[in-house]
Amino acid sequence: MTLLMVAILNFILFRVIPGDPSSLLLGGARISVTPEQIEAQRQSWGLDRPMFPDQVVDYLSATMQGDLGYSFKFRGRRVADLILERLPATVALVGLAQVIAILCGVMLGLYAGWRRGGAIDHITTGTSLALYSTPAFWLGMLLVVIFSTALGWLPGYGAHSPGAVSGSLDWLLDYLRHLALPVAAVALGLIGQYVVVARAAMSDVVTEDYMVTARAKGLTNGQMLMRHAFRNAMLPVVTLIALNLGYVVAGAITVEAVFAWPGIGGLTVEALNARDYPVLQGIFLLLGASIVVANLVADLAYGLLDPRVRQ
Amino acid sequence: MNTYISSRRVVMKAMLAMSAAPWMLSTKVFASSSCDDHVVRFGGILSPDTMNPFASWASWQPLVCTYDFLVCVDAQRHPDRRGFAKEWSVADDNLTWTFKIWPGMKWSDGQPATARDAAFTYNYLLGSIGKPDELNVGENSTADMQKVESITAIDDETLRIVTKTPTRWPIDNFTMIVPQHIWKDVSYADARSTFRNDPPLVGTGPLIVQEFQQGQFVRFTPNPHFRSGRPSTAGMIMSFFNTADPIAQGLKSGSLDFGISLTAAQSADLSKNPAIKVVETRCEQVNYLAFNTASGKGAGSSKALQDPAFRDAIGYAIDQKAIVDRAFRGLAEPGVGLVPPSAADYYSDLNDVRRHFDLAEAGRRLDDAGYLDSNGDGIREDKDGKRFQLELITGTVSGKLEIPMAAVQLIAGWLGQIGIPVSVTQLEAGALSARTETSADSGGWDLLVAAAWPSPTPDDLLRGFSSGAHANRAFWSNEKFDAILSEVEVTLDLKKGQELVDQAARLVYTEAPYITLCYPFLLEAYRKDCFEGWGEDISLWSYYPFDRLRSA
Repeated sequence: MTLLMVAILNFILFRVIPGDPSSLLLGGARISVTPEQIEAQRQSWGLDRPMFPDQVVDYLSATMQGDLGYSFKFRGRRVADLILERLPATVALVGLAQVIAILCGVMLGLYAGWRRGGAIDHITTGTSLALYSTPAFWLGMLLVVIFSTALGWLPGYGAHSPGAVSGSLDWLLDYLRHLALPVAAVALGLIGQYVVVARAAMSDVVTEDYMVTARAKGLTNGQMLMRHAFRNAMLPVVTLIALNLGYVVAGAITVEAVFAWPGIGGLTVEALNARDYPVLQGIFLLLGASIVVANLVADLAYGLLDPRVRQ
Repeated sequence: MNTYISSRRVVMKAMLAMSAAPWMLSTKVFASSSCDDHVVRFGGILSPDTMNPFASWASWQPLVCTYDFLVCVDAQRHPDRRGFAKEWSVADDNLTWTFKIWPGMKWSDGQPATARDAAFTYNYLLGSIGKPDELNVGENSTADMQKVESITAIDDETLRIVTKTPTRWPIDNFTMIVPQHIWKDVSYADARSTFRNDPPLVGTGPLIVQEFQQGQFVRFTPNPHFRSGRPSTAGMIMSFFNTADPIAQGLKSGSLDFGISLTAAQSADLSKNPAIKVVETRCEQVNYLAFNTASGKGAGSSKALQDPAFRDAIGYAIDQKAIVDRAFRGLAEPGVGLVPPSAADYYSDLNDVRRHFDLAEAGRRLDDAGYLDSNGDGIREDKDGKRFQLELITGTVSGKLEIPMAAVQLIAGWLGQIGIPVSVTQLEAGALSARTETSADSGGWDLLVAAAWPSPTPDDLLRGFSSGAHANRAFWSNEKFDAILSEVEVTLDLKKGQELVDQAARLVYTEAPYITLCYPFLLEAYRKDCFEGWGEDISLWSYYPFDRLRSA
């Protein structure tokens, strides 16, 4: 039901945006296009039919059968193919950045919360707040200027060098080189986010009565941390992780633009500029589905972490 | 204890392996740029859609490197820039054109490229006219082909085009000639939609598309059968970007040899780099201020917009030089008429009728035309007694801002000084086109700052301003102008064509539905370390100079 609502909202949202794709279907702003040609084009794409019920019913029935239709802009390309073509690059970029951010951010945050007021807490919290509040695209531009332009260590754009033979070790290493800077740009921002949340959660936990009881029982710091504090502090962090994982397929639009990364974010920008309704609907349907799944995963993880939820 | 030591060793090994990774990743083997491979690296804000010229509208740049026009757009000005045909002539009836195709020319796959291929391409388009799958959506389009009577290959080297009325279409059309042996079995339905024409392409241009990664790049290799000899570079990689920042950084780092779509700030920054040459190229872009002259549905907020005297007076309140200096940092030419200087054959500086910036004169002319500030509150009223409050709209096109907002603010400021307050609305591309397209639901705005990109052919220069034209954003209608356009369309003589275009340009200038603001330069830059032979006239309309670059 949620996905059905998402699909209907997608359909409506992109059509209430001002602008008509029919002139695009005839070559953008070509001077020689006549109103008759535009009308013929609208007819051939079904844009002349009433939006409700004709267009919406056609769209929903096709979507339920897994048919997302053809792209307006990328002629001859199925929307599903376009999305699947761009999805691996986005999953690699945002997925890897999430993994790095979760590992680094959660650990640092929990440690900073555990050692509140210490030097590491001050440094970590300050840096994290700065990273969290820095736009990822700006961070990306900074990384390009330093590591690509000035030092020349890593490529500043694209996913791999043209002509590389797909699947070879050279290709993989080339891909990783291209991936390094965009992953860093996304991950650094996320690390800041995870540190802030994990630190706050741990700070709350360490002041709880059961932690005092644990210490009174004679547990070591390590035992207290692992048995009591960590698990309880992870509850809000898991929520954040699950929600963020839902956005993995959405891509990082601004970072993808800075690095010319060929992912879903870039496709979204191209589709928006071109009023490519079918592609936009497909991307947002995928995003909606991934958020639903991520929420489900979060609920299940809650059950594993907190027995009270299971009851 | 053993377990502890063992895990410590694992960690140490992992750290050693990781320390080698940066070295492995930074070896020259994977370097993205090097002069050694002789491959030209090109970056631009581009988003090619498909390699099928009958369906594509956004793949101009890669396709013109692979496919020739019958006559290249630069052919008249540069004798070495011919196109698929080597020479051509028109009979005394001004209807029958004879083209001589390059003898012995071959497609990139080694097959003979003949007049029959050219005839096939045109007849393929002609045959689709009136059918449900008419080929009217791509770069290769049936637009204007109604002027054609017949197109016939007399022999392998001779093509005859007969037109219904005199027209320059045979030498001014931008149809890319495709090989018959590849396209002969492609249906119209497929050609206008699902046929992707996957690389490697087969063309007669100097650089052949070998690989197309959507959203990433196009890779070209030199055409071994190119009519003037195989290009001396090892090919070209055209990378696509959504913004200009990575292009500028790529030029600096050396990962790009040539970049387009640069901003004024990037251009100024790059010009300080001794390894980089920044080029300010004239292009076909014309930035204008349009008045909503519609009188019925979609009309603006005041009838004054329909009054040439009002528009003419406003023309005295626009300082084109200040716009160029302050909003474009000098990287444009002040606007005069509707023909850009890049269309050198038809450009006129209209010296004898030109307005000059003078706010007092603008005020006097508004007074004379009856647009007075009767109550002395600093705001004029129109002839209906309504106080002026005009809405000026502007915005982005394909995600790019064609005109700096500073220019728009300058205009609003000047109009405010002559008693015509203006509110500025910046719109996104779709919203902008929704309000300005010629349709029943558009309009409602007063002033528009936007841009046109006419091709440098006489009829295309004028057509966008004719009554009912899709690109005629001002909704301007003028019988005299339309009559001139009709005459231009059947005029072959260059001199007469120039006179007609000049007449039309003067008409638009004096009637002032559009006030030309400036002709921005296309800002490009190339690196000097890997290649030479760039020249000074890099053409947007074709592949020059990429056919003649050589390693430095």
